Amino acid sequence: MRRFFGVTILAAVCLAFAGALMITVWHISGTQAPVDLPGLLAENLEASGVEHPITAVLLNFRSYDTLLEIGVLVIAGIAGISMAKTTSLEDPLLRTSDSLLYALQRWFVPLMLVLAGYLLWAGSDRPGGAFQAGAVLAASGVMMRLGGIPMEFLRPGVLLRLGLALGFSVFLLVAVASAMAGDAFLAYPEAFNKPLILVIETVLTFSIAMVLLALFVSAPVNGAEEPEEGERG
Amino acid sequence: MTLWLMAGLLFTPLAWAVLTLLLDFSKGRVVTWLGILVQVLVSLGLWAAVASDGGFLYLLGGWQAPLGIELRVDGLAVTFVLLTALVAAACGWHASIYLDPGKPWHRYFWPLFWFLWAGLNAVWLGGDLFNLYVGLELISLAAVGLVALGGQADALRAAIRYLMAALLGSLAYLLGVALIYGQFGTLSLAGVTELMNSGDVQSGLTFPLILMLLGLALKTALFPMHGWLPPAHGIARSPVSALLSALVVKASFYIAARLWLDLGGHLGGYVLAQLIGVLGSLAVIWGSWLAFRQVKLKQVVAYSSVAQIGYLFLLFPLTWGVTEAISQQAQQGITLQVVSHALAKAAMFLAAGNLIMSVGSNRVDALAGVSRFLPFSLFSFGLAGVSLMGLPPTGGFAAKWLLLQASLASGQWWWLGVLLAGGLLSAAYVFRVYRASFIEATDTDQFYHPSRSLEVIPMILALLSLGLGLVAEPVLSVMSLPFEGAGP
Repeated sequence: MRRFFGVTILAAVCLAFAGALMITVWHISGTQAPVDLPGLLAENLEASGVEHPITAVLLNFRSYDTLLEIGVLVIAGIAGISMAKTTSLEDPLLRTSDSLLYALQRWFVPLMLVLAGYLLWAGSDRPGGAFQAGAVLAASGVMMRLGGIPMEFLRPGVLLRLGLALGFSVFLLVAVASAMAGDAFLAYPEAFNKPLILVIETVLTFSIAMVLLALFVSAPVNGAEEPEEGERG
Repeated sequence: MTLWLMAGLLFTPLAWAVLTLLLDFSKGRVVTWLGILVQVLVSLGLWAAVASDGGFLYLLGGWQAPLGIELRVDGLAVTFVLLTALVAAACGWHASIYLDPGKPWHRYFWPLFWFLWAGLNAVWLGGDLFNLYVGLELISLAAVGLVALGGQADALRAAIRYLMAALLGSLAYLLGVALIYGQFGTLSLAGVTELMNSGDVQSGLTFPLILMLLGLALKTALFPMHGWLPPAHGIARSPVSALLSALVVKASFYIAARLWLDLGGHLGGYVLAQLIGVLGSLAVIWGSWLAFRQVKLKQVVAYSSVAQIGYLFLLFPLTWGVTEAISQQAQQGITLQVVSHALAKAAMFLAAGNLIMSVGSNRVDALAGVSRFLPFSLFSFGLAGVSLMGLPPTGGFAAKWLLLQASLASGQWWWLGVLLAGGLLSAAYVFRVYRASFIEATDTDQFYHPSRSLEVIPMILALLSLGLGLVAEPVLSVMSLPFEGAGP
């Protein structure tokens, strides 16, 4: 009986939520937004240095958001590797000898690497960019890892940490260099818009792939643990 | 000058996060001390600049809102930036001695600590709804990482629970932001407020505001959504618990308060305001009662946070549909409550960490006899408790006095009972800890003595919270500086 009431209340809450959401969306879709942001964006696209509006928003107009979002990814990477077991790379349980996987790997990995490069380049004038390219790069890394290809740099050592930090550091350096030059934080100098955005995109791709791959590899939980405060370990 | 201060404020925590990621714990500690010094100086400088010249807007990347992101550097924001600098400096200093450098995972403490600090500054200064969301994410993930750091199954369980609550809260907030953007076409909070005040646009719907407030209340652990807080704050290392209770939960509350003060007049209503006030009151009573019942010392302090957070939500009824003067009084009271609770709770958690370290157990009844060995830490714990109870001359007293006046002036006498009962109940759980520590147990003489610095830090924080009541006037005058809106 209690269970029945629980389910009924839950369903009622969900229905009320969906109803309120629908009414709100209906109301909003019927009215014209007083500020035309896409129009404003199109007017300023020229000054951003890239031709694709999404890349312009992510790396120029709202680059502060992107900088902090990369920070969020780095945090996720840090939290992941802080729990990593250092021996997991040699874990025999992870070794597979699936011939289908090997065959796929031979075909797909080079193709995916090329695709990642293409996505990165495409970001300047059509959909693509660092996040997509990084995801594809990480996926090819996952495939190599499943196939048992040793990737020493993924061990929680200085190389991994350098890789995690690289994209974020370059982005941050550009930000502070522009502040030093007398402009605001993250204001790129007019002449270098495009090359700077390209450099940032490239290192970001690398670091995003590193974060995702590190999270995949360091999934096992730490064996040596810290006891709670006040409990003898 | 202010341009340099702003660049320093935004850049330092992020740069130090990267720097300490590449170093081990001991080297990271030295680097962190330097960073803390820079950050405290910059925050003080910015506070002084705003106190003398008034607030300003800082355009990131040189783009104006709504195209770019604006930071709102006003009196309230710099007050919290300075508070964060003080509390985080104390917690960082404490952690640098408290944490064991021999544990390999403690090297990740510093980068997470600095990212957390960066996120907090981003939230205090944020004037863009989506940018505030990013700041919240930065804070939540860093906080979850700190709770889970090298922990056992219990710590991981608490961290995952915390992560789920934080993500759900973020998503609800984000959905609200998306709806607001859909309606107004801008993400700038000031822009939306201006549109509503101008009256040219059709007034919005309440649902997006409710969604955002709901998500933020979940992240602030408002009753009855507080279930995730005590396990996470209780099981983290003490300097981490101090950061979480003192600053992290305040960030989501701060956004909720800013939303309410800007949009609440148009989108809110009497019933919504009263409902939030009632939930806050229930949090005060229920949280204090649970704090009184806890067996473990840090759980007592964690549940006390649930109760103290409850007071903050009285802001909503006390600023809705009242005169400007009463609203101002309530805002000042709540700001003082945030500041004094941050200082007192950080002091309490750090002192609790020292006590636990000393007796080697986290139970309240294990404190028997500790008063002879660690009087200094126990005294800090008590001083912080005095501020929580709201006795004069503490900051807690000044805060409750202002809230009391605001409730009476607005005719909402029913909040008086909560303010009084909350004070009495907090006295009950603080004295329970004291009673346990004065019992003379004959068989336990083995006390470990933490280093002097560990004991000094909570004392400084507790004294600051005690003295806040005496210097409330200058603090409040900067906090309520009118926002100029002009560029630097």
